[in-house]
Amino acid sequence: MQVTVLIIEDNRDNYYLMQYLLENKGYKVLGADSGWLGLEMAIHNTPSIILLDIQLPEMDGYTVLRRLRSNPFLSGIPIVVVSSYAMTGNKEQALSAGATGYIEKPIDPLRFADQIESYLKA
Amino acid sequence: MSLSPRRMAQPDFRRSSGFSSLRPSLHRVLAYILFMMVISHMGGRVVKVGIYMNPPKVYWEEGGEPSGIFVDILDHIAAAEGWQVEYHKDTWENCLSLLQDGSVDLMPDVAYNSERDKVMDFHQNPVLYSWTQIYVKRGIALNSLLDLEGLRLAVLRNSVQAKLLQGLFSTPADSSRMVFASSFDEVLALVRDGEADAAATNFYFGRMNARKYGLEETDILLEPSTLFFAAKQGYFGDILNAIDNHLNQLKSIPDSYYYQVLNKYVFSSNKYSLPRWSILLALSLIFALLISILIGNIFRKQVRKRTAELHKANLEMEKRIEQRTEELAMAMHKAQVADMLKSAFLATMSHELRTPLNSVIGFTGILLKEMPGKINEEQSKMLSIIQGSARHLLSLINDVLDISKIEAGQLDLHYSNVNLYSLLENAIQLVGVQAAAKGLNLVFKPGSEPGDITVDERRFEQVILNLLSNAIKFCDEGEVSLSYTVKDKQLYLMVKDTGIGIPPEKQSKLFQPFVQVDMGINRKYEGTGLGLFISRRIMNLMGGDITLESEVNKGSLFTVILPLKNGGIQCK
Repeated sequence: MQVTVLIIEDNRDNYYLMQYLLENKGYKVLGADSGWLGLEMAIHNTPSIILLDIQLPEMDGYTVLRRLRSNPFLSGIPIVVVSSYAMTGNKEQALSAGATGYIEKPIDPLRFADQIESYLKA
Repeated sequence: MSLSPRRMAQPDFRRSSGFSSLRPSLHRVLAYILFMMVISHMGGRVVKVGIYMNPPKVYWEEGGEPSGIFVDILDHIAAAEGWQVEYHKDTWENCLSLLQDGSVDLMPDVAYNSERDKVMDFHQNPVLYSWTQIYVKRGIALNSLLDLEGLRLAVLRNSVQAKLLQGLFSTPADSSRMVFASSFDEVLALVRDGEADAAATNFYFGRMNARKYGLEETDILLEPSTLFFAAKQGYFGDILNAIDNHLNQLKSIPDSYYYQVLNKYVFSSNKYSLPRWSILLALSLIFALLISILIGNIFRKQVRKRTAELHKANLEMEKRIEQRTEELAMAMHKAQVADMLKSAFLATMSHELRTPLNSVIGFTGILLKEMPGKINEEQSKMLSIIQGSARHLLSLINDVLDISKIEAGQLDLHYSNVNLYSLLENAIQLVGVQAAAKGLNLVFKPGSEPGDITVDERRFEQVILNLLSNAIKFCDEGEVSLSYTVKDKQLYLMVKDTGIGIPPEKQSKLFQPFVQVDMGINRKYEGTGLGLFISRRIMNLMGGDITLESEVNKGSLFTVILPLKNGGIQCK
């Protein structure tokens, strides 16, 4: 069964970067450019893994994270936060809100797909 | 010329006048001589006076000359009459008997009464008027003679007072109430000592002495009496006459010696009731009091003025403090807002810079990896330059972010157990490409105790990577080595290079922010100069340190010291 990755990211360039790297890996990539849309797409598509940005329009990543985790049909999906936030506590906040992993931007293009794969296995 | 000497001289004069018809001039000379002889004889007349203690009328100072009103007046008269007065000091009673038997001629201060008139001679004009006054202890009220009923009365034996009071209380039972004393001083002392309830003395003595014994004058006056010099009956009529004549004369002149004496003894009672030192003391006390009142007033005025000033100053102060507090609160608020803004700004800036850098680094990586398709050598070289610049930009952003966290005290550490060997091996791999590009030999010499340590993994790795990349950056040939050892519950991690080295005078500056040893405009090595400062601070936060040993052109040795939380490396 093909791996489906939902990327919730409002920056088109960054989305394209991750989409390229993951499709290159052979994964199916879905995109949402807002928190609301991300939630809806997660419910309708039940992805294998969700990559989530924190700074999003209308609803921030932490809220999206909590809502995804509160839904019993979605709570088993690994969620990896990929964020430009590098201040102290950002990673901890994401993990305590239910994130499976945290990748700080800028990503390492050579390692990124492998990192995602490791979260899928876990 | 007084009367008495003339009388005495008359018989002689008459006798000598019998020869005057024969030899008038001789008679005159003889008469003169005789007269002078009589005068000198009379001037030598001795008058013996018995005196006793009854100040201020008659008394003597202890071991001193007799004085008092009677004594002074008698001396005055005697001087005028040419008498020589001999005073015999004794008690009142003894003086009376001495006068009877003729041992003394005269007694001063004798109150006239009919009984005495039978046994002694008095002159006509009284020296003083006196009366008996009753004295009691302070605070006892005696308003009339009737109040004396039942009280013990102290009197001078055989005195006018004794006689008078015995007459008043004539029943036998009452006689026991009389307490007799031999001097007026004793009379007052008896009341003071509680052996009698009231004292009867003459007005003059009482006025002068009562206070001394703690007694008070009552309103009870008895038996006004007239006081005279008394003489042995029948012998001294001339002396008494002379006294009378002088008294008549003295009393008729307002400012005469007689009145001076009265003034001196009776009306200026201060002399007797208050010692000199007490007057001085009182005066100085009054003076001091006045001065203190004056000074007090001055001070009070000043204090009032100062108080008003202080109050005003206080109000101003309070106002200012309030204002300042407000300003400070405002400034504090501003600072807090500024701090929040700064933190928010840094977070935002960091975020906003990372997002485009993510694309730059990401896509150059993809292109260099030739995922979309083959690139030629020229394109690869250019893309590598873009990638290097982007990475450098990222490290700058990271350093600035770290510095701001350190300054704000926000560099929080998150400890976890980490395998030391894996961590170091990973670091060596990360800088491997850098070292290989410079043709350096990168050596990892693991210690004998690979195991877990408790650190903030990301920060600890940051420190090691910083030291390793520094060593590679400043080393052009030779090797860079990484080794570690455990000693005294501390981990010593050594990064050694065979590079340019650091001169001693610049070693201490190395750990300060924004410092590179070579800071010229054409400096050879890039970098912010923040790395070592940040690394050392991170190690300080973990309770450790970074030390440096270096020799120019031979190389440097940076040692990371980390206290081990569990006392050693935990072996897996």
